[in-house]
Amino acid sequence: MWLPPATPSYPGALYLACWFAGGVLLAFLVLPLVALALTQSGASLAGVARMVDVRDAIVLSLEAAFLSAAAAAVVGVPLAYALARTAFPGKGIVAALVDLPLAVPHTVAGIALLLVFGRQGVLGEPLQTFVGLKFWGTIAGVVVAMLFVSAPYTVNAARIGFEAVDPQLEKIARTLGLNPWRTFMRITLPLARRSIMTGVTLTYARSISEFGAVVILVYYPMTAPVKIYELFLRFGLEQSAAAAVLLLIVSLSLFVLLRTLAQRGGVPQENR
Amino acid sequence: MTRRLTLAQAAFGIVGALMVASSSTQAADPTTLTVYAAGTLAVPFRQVSALFTQKYPNVTVQAQFGGSVMMAKRITDLHQDSDLLAVADYNVIPKYMFAGPAHATWYAGFARNAITFVYTEKSKYANEINSDNWYKILSRPGVEIGRSNPDTDPSGYQTVQMLNLAEKLYNAPGLEQKVLANAPLTNMRDTETALISALQLGQIDYLAIYRSDALQHHLKFIDLPAKINLSDPAQSAYYLTGTAHTKNGDLAGKPIVYAVTMVNGSKNAEMAENYVALLLGPQGQAVMKTNGFGEFNPAYAVHVDAMPAALKKLVEPWPGS
Amino acid sequence: MSASLAVEALTLTLGAFRLNQIDFALARGEILVILGPNGAGKSVTLETIAGFHRPDSGRVLIGGSEVTALPPERRNIGFVVQNFGLFPHLTVAQNVAIARRSDRAIAVPDSTFPAHGDPAALLSYFGVAHLAKRMPAALSPGEKQRVALARALASVPDVFLFDEPFSALDADMREQLREELNTFLRALAIPAILVTHDRGDAIALADKIMVLRDGAVVQSGAATEVFRKPISSFVARFVGVENVLPGRIVETTENGISIEVGKQIVGAARGQSMPAGRPIVVSIHAEDVAVSLPEGERQKSAINRFAGRVTAMRRAGALVTIAIDCGFPLRAFLLGPQVREMGLDVGSGVAVQIAPEAVHIMAD
Repeated sequence: MWLPPATPSYPGALYLACWFAGGVLLAFLVLPLVALALTQSGASLAGVARMVDVRDAIVLSLEAAFLSAAAAAVVGVPLAYALARTAFPGKGIVAALVDLPLAVPHTVAGIALLLVFGRQGVLGEPLQTFVGLKFWGTIAGVVVAMLFVSAPYTVNAARIGFEAVDPQLEKIARTLGLNPWRTFMRITLPLARRSIMTGVTLTYARSISEFGAVVILVYYPMTAPVKIYELFLRFGLEQSAAAAVLLLIVSLSLFVLLRTLAQRGGVPQENR
Repeated sequence: MTRRLTLAQAAFGIVGALMVASSSTQAADPTTLTVYAAGTLAVPFRQVSALFTQKYPNVTVQAQFGGSVMMAKRITDLHQDSDLLAVADYNVIPKYMFAGPAHATWYAGFARNAITFVYTEKSKYANEINSDNWYKILSRPGVEIGRSNPDTDPSGYQTVQMLNLAEKLYNAPGLEQKVLANAPLTNMRDTETALISALQLGQIDYLAIYRSDALQHHLKFIDLPAKINLSDPAQSAYYLTGTAHTKNGDLAGKPIVYAVTMVNGSKNAEMAENYVALLLGPQGQAVMKTNGFGEFNPAYAVHVDAMPAALKKLVEPWPGS
Repeated sequence: MSASLAVEALTLTLGAFRLNQIDFALARGEILVILGPNGAGKSVTLETIAGFHRPDSGRVLIGGSEVTALPPERRNIGFVVQNFGLFPHLTVAQNVAIARRSDRAIAVPDSTFPAHGDPAALLSYFGVAHLAKRMPAALSPGEKQRVALARALASVPDVFLFDEPFSALDADMREQLREELNTFLRALAIPAILVTHDRGDAIALADKIMVLRDGAVVQSGAATEVFRKPISSFVARFVGVENVLPGRIVETTENGISIEVGKQIVGAARGQSMPAGRPIVVSIHAEDVAVSLPEGERQKSAINRFAGRVTAMRRAGALVTIAIDCGFPLRAFLLGPQVREMGLDVGSGVAVQIAPEAVHIMAD
């Protein structure tokens, strides 16, 4: 298995430029978060962790983001497979539609979702009347808002993962007697697993941080971003920063864990 | 701890400034006047700014709008530069701006407002409701009412105070509780304007909001009695008997008066003063009236001696202070 | 013995490409090599037999039953591709075990062969049992081929399909694997189709050859037939005939056919009916050209004996290809020692002799 060397034998300007640019970007991303984290002590974090409403908000965010990521996986992965493998008229438009939520301002997204899922919405009304499912002020509403803004990450990553699976392997599996469903489950999906997990993790991360679309549908119960904003309005910088850092620590640990799980059992690349 | 906070405030200030994505460069630029104002003042202030720019063509007015408390905290906590601050509840200025290192030393009330309920023809019982039976209809089960968060927004606690007063006025025990039961936490937002789309989409039937917003958004509204709708400073003593229990403490009812002040240390003090003068003068008052606000003739002010000379002439000391 | 694989009038349109009336039959133990240039439709044909394309018309029959309407997983075929297509995320043992087996068994002359498709037994049969826990990336090409075959056999196929399996390999590896495949296919007598653009594969493996061009069959038949009697100069060049020469029929008698080729008259055996005066193409294998020194012994007949001059010599190992001008350009083979013995060099005078039976006439 061939891997590029840790240091090229003849490092040139390009190599140095890459490291420099990379360093600048990393510093840009890390510095504000580190500075924020440094404003807190163990005591201040413990203090805010003791607040029931802060804990509840973080737990709600994690739960809803999990449901959002799960939903994205369930409906997004099949779509990604269709985009990767089939050609149909209008495929380019569908692919662009998938990316559309990324360009929609979050407030607008929230209002649009309220229009559809609200008390008098085309989906909201029947769902409320027949199934008793409400989106205004419920975790379902949070999940819907999160899913809308973060689903593209799963679909795009899964699609790239599927495109990287050699279609020949799927054909061979069929000749070995595996029907299309089995082929997908035992050959295609495992080979695309890493990409899909990366996409789902991104969806999860994006879901946790969503504010603008969520707050249109659901202010209470409060997700972590809404809670942090409320703390800022009521108390100011100190308390909201503490809650923010707490959320960061919880989120970061979770992402590291997810990333590690995603990396395990990956497929070694062979040199063709 | 103090050192950490300073570092944090500096860092947060950088981040805050970046993330808010507003071009707050006015401190260095002598021809830009920065105004922070409550969201409900957005429409009238744009008109006042237009008048101001006609009068002083070399000045650009950059106004930003948001929750009154939020805008005040931007100045006090995030150290953002603003020349003027105008709030929906005059209490916000002394509470946040006078305290600690003082960011302001006076304020002038320049407009009044009233709490009301807006609705659409889609709202439940829309063709039944009027100024006499409104509290009975809003108490009915199944009616969805929206309001803003009393812990973070003035109109939120003002709504609760109004209901408290209504209970006494109509001699209807349980009125406040019944109406608030139709306005649960799920129908609450940080500012009432965030709920207008919910009203228009039929998610809620009635929204507690200011009269000025009702007129600006061309929404049907209920005329509540002046004795409870917090619009008349002359009723201040009665208003005090209405209470809202919030996480910031028990707040007694006060008339809804919009106040303005100049921020200490502003580099555009002269222009800021001119703006306030325009606002308090007849042209400013006319704009406020057109937009559905109650007027002040003349404006009331607190700490008049701290005001610039030109402005002193336009105000009267606040009754009772 | 009934045909184990039959394709009848298979026609398929795939975008701009069209496969036209493909027709052949394969009996047990036979190997068909489908030969043709890139883009000829070889892989498409194979994939249609495998079930990955639905033909517009025509039938595919495997083991006597029609499978045209069946999806690939119900067709009982073994499919081996370039780079062998082992599943990279599974071990060797898992690769072989993934096949879905029925209760069928392959009827095979070799009784030691695990005819029911038992994965462990197959690994042993191919001598790769010790690799059971390895990942495909760690295998050599030879080991990969064996695992790929074991895996295909685990699904107890009625027919084997190979899609350019050696294309990505270097010449030595190619030859070695070709030999192994030949041995194995003969031992099991499972009918197989091998698609390739390399004539060496055809020479080594084919019982039957089908030459495709632009989606249509150009020539199809027994391997020796296609090699010795190509139907056109396209086929002749494709199967590696070294001498493909334009000519014109002078006369046809009961003794044979006289053809004007270049400055000479070449005699061909009778039986290839052609009208006189017609322009034709002549194909002569280089190995059918006898080269001797001009003063050498006289042949039994003087037919097709020409004097010439060596124009070029090219050595490939022990074999030397000699280009001769004898009134028309001709190529012949000699072994190195023969060249030395005759003292040949560029410019040497030689005499060439071609048996009339070796002169094959083609229409174009």
